[in-house]
Amino acid sequence: MLGPADWVIWSLATLFEAAVVVCSLRKKVFRRYFFLNLYMLSSVCASVGRFRILMHDGRSSLEYRYFYYYSEALLVICLYFGLISLYSRVFQELQVERYVRFGAVVLLAGTAWFSYTIVNQSSARMLTHFVYELSQNLYFIGLVLTYALWGVILKLRETRALLVQLVLSLGVYFSAYAASYAVSNLRPDLFSHMVYLFPVIGCLLPLAWAYAIWRVPEEARIEPARLAVASR
Amino acid sequence: MSRKLTVVLLSMLVLAGAMGLKTAVTAHGNGPAVLSANGAPVPTPF
Repeated sequence: MLGPADWVIWSLATLFEAAVVVCSLRKKVFRRYFFLNLYMLSSVCASVGRFRILMHDGRSSLEYRYFYYYSEALLVICLYFGLISLYSRVFQELQVERYVRFGAVVLLAGTAWFSYTIVNQSSARMLTHFVYELSQNLYFIGLVLTYALWGVILKLRETRALLVQLVLSLGVYFSAYAASYAVSNLRPDLFSHMVYLFPVIGCLLPLAWAYAIWRVPEEARIEPARLAVASR
Repeated sequence: MSRKLTVVLLSMLVLAGAMGLKTAVTAHGNGPAVLSANGAPVPTPF
């Protein structure tokens, strides 16, 4: 049974996700960050579907479990393509988008193959296990790719403020999630204190994106530290 | 051709790094599933 705090956090998360799409449409950057918006829109749809099934069949029902894990896999794939679209934007001026797309397909195929090798021993519900494993593996791929993108942004001295804020918030989201997951695994006794931490972290990503899209103009540039010092 | 091979190599490095990280984080795997939670209650895994 869900408590009031669970409902509030879930509602807020869905509201923030919808806010990202609305802010993108209002600021006319929906097409520019299409895959990020697609992820947010899919997440809102998944929330609505989960809510309906939760109300109709209950949390422990097979229907809810199937819908949750299959929709989760689709969401993680959308997030993966959103991350790749950020790579494309960062590498835009180097004219290597072809290679970024090629690398993304190779990595996705490699992850699918790796997930398959893990689950191909289990004969029952192999597709479901594959979907579950794939979404978990893609999550960690996203984590590593985000750190790599941070490095690329630093190396290339990227100055587009909105792009930097989107990547940084994604990095903070992945880091906080992985850290809290590691702590809950290492110290299971702390898990009862951290039960609201995962959904709260899930709320913060759309909130940060909505704020960045609403407040930071697309043409805004970050002043590099060396230029800032020189101009004083 | 060599550029494409470099991309394949980088992709495999990312894959190996991510799976290594997953193994390290889930070594004592009795916690919840790592999923991009959007606030919805997580059901028990299959």
